[in-house]
Amino acid sequence: MTALEIGITSFPALMVLIFLRVPIGLAMFIVGLVGLVIVTDGTQVAFGRLKSETYSTFSSYSLTIVPMFLLMGHFATLGGMSNALFKAAEGFLGHRRGGVAMASIGACAGFGAICGSSLATAATMGRVALPELKQYGYAGGFSTATLAAGGTLGILIPPSVVLVIYAILTEQNIAKLFLAAFVPGLLAALGYVIAISIYVRLYPESAGTRPAVPWGERFAALFRVWPVLLVFGAVVGGIYGGLFTPTEGAAVGAFGTGLIAWLNGGLDRANLVDSFMVTARSTAMIFFIVLGAGFYNGFLALTQVPQELADFVVSQGWSPWMVLAMILCFYLLFGCLMDSLSMILLTIPIFFPVISAMEFGFLSLAQMQADAAMDVLNAGIPEGMGAEMLDSIRQSIASGVELTREQMKELGIRVTQGKLNRMESEFVAIWFGILVLIVVEVGLITPPVGMNLFIINAMDRKTRMVDTYKAVTFFVASDLVRVVILVLFPTITLFLLPGWL
Amino acid sequence: MHKLMMGLARVMAMIGGAILTLLIILTCLSITGRLLNGFFHSDLMEGIAPGFSEWMIKIGVGPINGDFELVEAGVAFAIFAFLPLCQITAGHASVDILANSFSKHVNRFLRMVTEIAFALVLILIAVKLGDGMLSKIKNGETSFLLEFPVWWAYAASLVAAIVAAIVGIYMAVIRTLEFLTGRIRIWDGVEAE
Repeated sequence: MTALEIGITSFPALMVLIFLRVPIGLAMFIVGLVGLVIVTDGTQVAFGRLKSETYSTFSSYSLTIVPMFLLMGHFATLGGMSNALFKAAEGFLGHRRGGVAMASIGACAGFGAICGSSLATAATMGRVALPELKQYGYAGGFSTATLAAGGTLGILIPPSVVLVIYAILTEQNIAKLFLAAFVPGLLAALGYVIAISIYVRLYPESAGTRPAVPWGERFAALFRVWPVLLVFGAVVGGIYGGLFTPTEGAAVGAFGTGLIAWLNGGLDRANLVDSFMVTARSTAMIFFIVLGAGFYNGFLALTQVPQELADFVVSQGWSPWMVLAMILCFYLLFGCLMDSLSMILLTIPIFFPVISAMEFGFLSLAQMQADAAMDVLNAGIPEGMGAEMLDSIRQSIASGVELTREQMKELGIRVTQGKLNRMESEFVAIWFGILVLIVVEVGLITPPVGMNLFIINAMDRKTRMVDTYKAVTFFVASDLVRVVILVLFPTITLFLLPGWL
Repeated sequence: MHKLMMGLARVMAMIGGAILTLLIILTCLSITGRLLNGFFHSDLMEGIAPGFSEWMIKIGVGPINGDFELVEAGVAFAIFAFLPLCQITAGHASVDILANSFSKHVNRFLRMVTEIAFALVLILIAVKLGDGMLSKIKNGETSFLLEFPVWWAYAASLVAAIVAAIVGIYMAVIRTLEFLTGRIRIWDGVEAE
């Protein structure tokens, strides 16, 4: 067998192990290790790598953000902020049709801004919102579905652990990814609210009514969520503004939420121990998958499988949009079976080279040159530029033709194909990351293994799982519509980023 | 025995959590120092209170030297220290969908094999980490800023890795007993009849 064949064979082998319920990280580790031993003809290389790779993976500075964000999320659940957020959202939305459910979504979105995990968001908001939904006569399955869907906002709205892992795998800027996730995250909340309003019109008996709250109280309740805004602003603003690194941002966030929890009396000894235990468990789980994936992907790279796959896809001459659609469909299907983090760690190293090799044509060279040229000309016509040259430049810009080398030299700008390619590949990487983030999160609210559904359903013993499944289809539909919109209009995701036209 | 192992895993997780908290505080202090330092260096402060600014900078208001290195070494230890708890509470992510349709007996067998493999991997990791530590001792590598020997960090992680391996072996024994006797000792969710 050639190395390439071994690499290709490893994939079904890995799938068999995973479906035999071998923990995903362990399965990747074992297949990667065995594969490496076979390809390099001996244990020397594989064991040699092990000497430093576990330590260097666990001590990787960019990954240190993960346990800190997890701890931040748990502190956030203790701080009583979930209650304040819910009260604030309820004041403004509660009296509408389906309003308490909409308020739950709003509160989840707010909570997602200080918590990077879906499960923690769903569980925390579930505790606060489920009793209220009950009290105002909302149907069981509808309530649980709403909260399960709302929980996914925890990961869609930055900070987000999955996005951090994506950024590290694809060597992208975490701050830019967070920024790009912001509008799609808000769209998600909006989409869920629309889904709710459609649902309560189709099934009017599923939602009760609630009296309106006076405006004074509404603003008083809104004011009480200031710590959330402060922490979110400090973390995301600080990272984006370059005040500190993402890891430092996570530390600030963990400190901030910890302080809030402590001041609100939520952080006693028992709760602190509990936070450590939960954080320890999820951190160890995530890092074991990261370790296994690192080993497996190292082996795959050695066999050239990702490169060959990318070359193969390019040589087929398929439209990039079709390739993207296929990959997203794959994620939707697989997301029903596997958790999002494992899936991203397993597949991004394989799919990302494919997507990077595609040309989506986001940017046009002539347009970029025209913009740069106009910047120069608006600031004043450069000294010594002849009228003829100026005319020819104006002509090129007006007719949308690329500038010549001389024209750019006269203007003192350098906008080349190479620069365009670099920018475009970054835009594609960020856009693809957000799309993947959304489609893998859909898996959290689809049967058979939608974790959010289980968590919320377990809190409400009287509601049958089937009812939750039925109601959640509305939210899944909203997710799918959003994915299509974001695919068709990359601007929605990318317009906040510098350099986007 | 189970109490002992569980206690061990929880103590390790507590230590890891405490280290993580310390690192978070350290990082926040370092950021504050850095921002204040920049503030005292700013034209505004040099203009209105030059003496005070100079004094603050002189007494060492600034970023903590080598904070990145401490975070890296500390988090590595914390993660190794978190492994035993994840192991003993069956916290690793897996795909249950197919296994749910297997018989109880097959599932117990699979779980035994998996857990034995896991124990072997954890032993391998600990042994190789030990090898890695020995070579760091030999080559005398030190960290970049604080210049502490890198093997110290390896040694701390090694202690936690050994505990993880011990708990891994314990879990392998438990799963083997479960397979042989049919009595489940540690539940992880798929045993439902």
